[in-house]
Parts: sequence; structure tokens; C-alpha cells
Amino acid sequence: MKVTWFHLMPYRWLPADFPKRYHSVWVDVPNHLYDPERGHLLYNEYLDMLEYADQVGFDAVGVNEHHQNAYGLMPSPNLMAAALARRVSNAMILVLGDSIALYNPPTRVAEEFAMLDVMSGGRLMAGFPVGTSMDINYCYGQNPATVRDKYREAHDLIIKAWTTREPFAFNGKFTKLRYVNLWPRPIQQPHPPVWVPGLGSIETWDFCINHGYNYSYLSFSGYKRALNMMNGYWERRAALGAPANPYSAAFFQQVCLSDTDAACEREWWPHVDYFFNKCLHIYPGMAEAPGYRTEASLRAGVVAQVGNVSANMGMNKTWKELVEQRYIVAGSPQTVRQQLEELAKSLNVGHLGLGLHMGSASIDLVNRATQLFAEKVLPALRPIFHEWEDHWWPKALPADKRLAPGGANAAYERRRRTGDGAEVRS
Amino acid sequence: MNAPASRILALGAHRPSIEVLEAGSGPPLFFLHGAGGIPIWEGAMALLAGSHHVYAPLLPGFGQSTGLEFLDDQLDLFLHCFDVMEALGLDRPYVVGESMGGWIAAEMAALRPGQIGRLALAAPVGLWRDEAPVADMFGMMTHEMVPLLFHDLNCPAAQLMLSLRELLSNKDDRSQEQIEFLIGMARGARTAAKFLFPIPENGLERRLWRITAPALIIWGDDDRFVAPTYADIFGQHIRGARIQKIPDVGHLIAMEQPQAFADAVIRWGSAAR
Repeated sequence: MKVTWFHLMPYRWLPADFPKRYHSVWVDVPNHLYDPERGHLLYNEYLDMLEYADQVGFDAVGVNEHHQNAYGLMPSPNLMAAALARRVSNAMILVLGDSIALYNPPTRVAEEFAMLDVMSGGRLMAGFPVGTSMDINYCYGQNPATVRDKYREAHDLIIKAWTTREPFAFNGKFTKLRYVNLWPRPIQQPHPPVWVPGLGSIETWDFCINHGYNYSYLSFSGYKRALNMMNGYWERRAALGAPANPYSAAFFQQVCLSDTDAACEREWWPHVDYFFNKCLHIYPGMAEAPGYRTEASLRAGVVAQVGNVSANMGMNKTWKELVEQRYIVAGSPQTVRQQLEELAKSLNVGHLGLGLHMGSASIDLVNRATQLFAEKVLPALRPIFHEWEDHWWPKALPADKRLAPGGANAAYERRRRTGDGAEVRS
Repeated sequence: MNAPASRILALGAHRPSIEVLEAGSGPPLFFLHGAGGIPIWEGAMALLAGSHHVYAPLLPGFGQSTGLEFLDDQLDLFLHCFDVMEALGLDRPYVVGESMGGWIAAEMAALRPGQIGRLALAAPVGLWRDEAPVADMFGMMTHEMVPLLFHDLNCPAAQLMLSLRELLSNKDDRSQEQIEFLIGMARGARTAAKFLFPIPENGLERRLWRITAPALIIWGDDDRFVAPTYADIFGQHIRGARIQKIPDVGHLIAMEQPQAFADAVIRWGSAAR
């Protein structure tokens, strides 16, 4: 099993009466609530957390894209990944991802992901989400009735741009380009592994299975409530003749980790409360623009479509309820280890997206959890699914061929000290 | 005799198939519905059928009409409506549209002025002023829309819409019929979104001068969805347009005050220019 330390990057200082006074955490949450100086602190601390995860041995670090959202401060995940590419030396980098239908032209995604892949020495996992309706329709004005067609076209263009070695013309319905000619192109061949986050629609499963992409289920409601959906995914793979390779799937689980179960509740509850009751304060009238979901998905889940979006998202629940129903995996290293083993085996997922930062948690609390996880949980998870090959992992340059920040300067200094100036000028 | 006849008009391969509701006799009246479709015939539609032969085609996604995938953009939509008019054998008919349908009717009249006999637009969308933003029909819940759509929240139509709230939030015990109703609503909303999301404005204002048909602009003076100030902008740009503001009514004029709506439309239909 592989574990990606995944950050949402929430704003930590929403007011106490936020859910009462404000419409939503997303789309129309007024930005006078955001203090840029505190934001400076947050970005630096959040990157520190991700870098620390690399230092203690996590397999990958992960970021994603949201817009006009107080719990997701990464409108451009690629900027974050670029910062990480220089400072994270061993871990792979998961960008989950770029909502490819938002980029105009979508070759921008092909270019920036290629830049990240080259900068990082081939350590990129390239996420292609459709994006939530809040992000892509309400914030970015994409037409909900056509955005899925636009997504598929953008996908075809990006893959073709990555894999074609001569300039070509692309005459799409949404994008028309006379000359597509990618500079740079990615290190990984034929291209970085593609990960597609979804919420359980058959169309997305088929898209992933047919293209050989990783399917990531991003949920805030925990692994127990995901069982039916993941079973559906494995059944669909079987129906299409694809092996049940656990690494073809990823699952995002939020985890709170302390030295003991009792300490965990004491230390983490304020931040769990902050996340579930402020960060998930989402206005249902903008949960899904008309047409965002296909009619087939609508039919399969008519309940969720028109129902109250936050009913199942863990608002207004106690610590005990959230823990028992596994919205969060929380407790001592032993408790967390045991529950994550259960998660892996019950869902059959080989990739765990670990949400180890929660709501308003401080860097001290989070780094302690990161350290505990690396020392006492990670070693137990690693051997799970060792019999399977992971086709969805980056094929990075070997570590000794990857350059470290400042390496060239160090070489220059070395040569300067020894007086060999000729080499410097060349 | 209130119920209209319904038939399917197949426009041909790779083109939509359209359900047409039809009733009454007299001069032809081509009716273009709003984003809510035609939920009830009784009332305004039946009154119009008392003096006109009413043809009310449903756009793809509404009722039994299909083929939205063949209409890529707004021009496709306007031309499609001409196709329907032609398939029905209508020559320079009286075209009446409400809200989204009013916008389509205005665009058609600007695109092919010679093919529209008369025009009545009931609170059409299609224009935009920053100081009077049109309400976001795609970004709110049905029950929140009602106070913006009606002047009198106690009128039957408003109460009917408010009663949907329970159906929309009750999750477990829906009948198959209710599920189909909800899917139908979502399908219609998808069609509206395809042409109007996120802002229902695409340059109509600079085309309005092309309209030559005698045009009536009807507006509820308590329209909080599309402010009555837009009536004046339509009036300024369409030569010879008549503006009629109806007191004590909101955006859905035909639903809230069917008689006043029908009177205005029928009177305009029989007026000499």
C-alpha cells in the first residue's frame, strides 16, 4: 500500500458564528473574511507540513484545486506543486488535480504538468478531475450541460499533446488550435500516470478502466460509507475484464492521530468540529447546476441529486458519532493502524490519500501526527497488497539522477575554491 | 374543452423530435414557453385557445421532446424554432413567448424579421444591466425562487411551487411517478442552462433594432426576477413597441394572473398596427 499525504489547505480563522451568518463556505463566501497576512503564514506552514511528510518517508504528497472556497486555498494547485517540486526530494507529487475543462486552451495543463514532471525528475501523478459544480459552473462559469463533453475533448487533446512528437492541428468543438507542439514534454513515457477523482458515476468508472487510469474516490464521509460505491467500482472492473488491482483505486480518508485515544479527542475535536461544521457549510442551492450530472447518474442517484447535500456529510455530529461511523479515523497509532488496515482490506484500495491535517489544526499538532504515522502506522500498511504491481505510480528518474536545489551552485563553489575557472564559464 | 392535443413532430435524422401541444381555433398563435415548461394548460393557455389556434412546441428536454444534443448553441436553438414553425405550416404567425421563450421569440424576430407576424414578449430575459441583475435561476433552490417569481405568495401557482419543496427534500419514499417528475424537471432545467447559464445575455440588445413585427412588451410591475426596468430597454430598441405593465403581478404573469395575461395577448393579437 502507498500513502499520499494530502492537503486541502483550509483557512483556519472562520468566525465562530460562520454557519449562521454566512451563506456558504464556497462560491459566495466574502473574501473580507480572508486576511492575506495570515494567508502568508498558512501557505508557508502548509508547505512545511508537506515537506515534513516527505522528510519522514511518506510515499507522496498531494494537492488539489478549488475556487472561491474557504477550506481549499489552492485555486492553482500547480503553483503549490511547483513549490513542492523543489523542496520535496523523495516523495512523489500528486496533483489531483487540474480541472482540465477550465483551462483555455487545455494545452496549458499539458504544458504545466510537463513542466512539473521535468522539474521534479518525473515524479508527477497527473490528476484530471471534472471538478465540482461549485468550482467549474458557479465559480468558473462553465456550461453544466456541455462541460463533460468539453472535459473529454480536453483530455484527448492533452494526451495527444503529450504523446505526439511533431506539431499537429487540433480541430475540436471547444478548442481549435492550428499548431499544437508541446515544449517541454514530460519525462515520463508515454506520459505521467493519470488519476481521475470521482463520486461514483458509472461513466467515470468506465472512463478510468478503459483508459487505464487510477480512480480516486474523494470523500469526507469515511470508508464505511464508501463500501457500496467501491464495490460497484470493482464489479464494473470485473464486468469489463480488468483485474481487481488495488492500485487502480485510491481513497481519501481523514485521520486524526495522537499518542492515545483519549488525547486524540482532546487535541483534535476543535479542529474536527471546525472542519465538519464550518468547512462543510455548503449551500445546497449551488451543489449541482442543472445538467452537471448526466441523466443516467441522476437516475441512479436521484436521491442524492435533489436531496440535502450536507445531510450525509457529517455536520452536527459528535466526536463519538464521527469516530464510530468512521467519518474520521481517529485515535492512537494502534487504533489508526487497525482501522486503516480494515479500510484497505474492505475497500481493496492500494492508494490511501491521507488527510492528516484537519480544519484549524496547528502545525505542531499536525507534524506530531505525521511523525507518529510515519513511525508507527506506515510500516504496517506498506506490505499490504505487495503482491500487486502498481501501474499508476510515477516512473521517476533514479534518485541519483535527480538534481537537488542548489546543486549547481554547490558545484560552482567547489570549482571556484579549486581555481578551475574555465569550467565555470562553459 | 381544456386539455390540448399532444403530438410528436419528428424533424428528421439528427434533429430533435418535438412534442407540440395544440388547442383552439382561429388565427395561429405560436407559443414559446419559459424555463419551467408548460406545467399547466388550464388558465392562461386555455384562455388563449379561446380565440386562437395555439401551437405550443416544447423545447428538447421538456415533456416528451428530445434531441437537445443536436442544438449546440443559441443560433441552433433559434433556427430549430423556425424549423418547428415551418413544419407546422405556420406563415408569419403571432409569436408569444414568456421569460426564456420571450428571449427566443425576440431573437427569432431579429434574425428573420420577415417571418414573424406579430410579437408579444412576456417578461423576456436576454438583456443585462449590472444595477439590476437578473436573478440566478440556476443557483438557488425552488422554494427560494418563489418569492422572486410571484407578487402574491398565496396564489395557487406559488403554493404549488412551494409544495415541491417537500418532494425535493424527501429522500426515501418517492413513487416512481414522483421520480420521473423530478427527472423531468432536471432535464428541462438542463436545457435552460445550456442556453442561459450563467448569465442570460448574449448580445440581443444590439440586435433588437432589426425587429419589424408589431411588438407588445408585457411586464409584471412587481417582477423581482427580471426587473421591470428591462421593459423600457426593450421598448427603446424595438421600433413602435408597446409596453404594458400589469399591476400586482410578479415574473410568472401567465401563472399568477392568467386572465390579465390572456387579455393583453389576445387584445394585441387582434389590434391593427
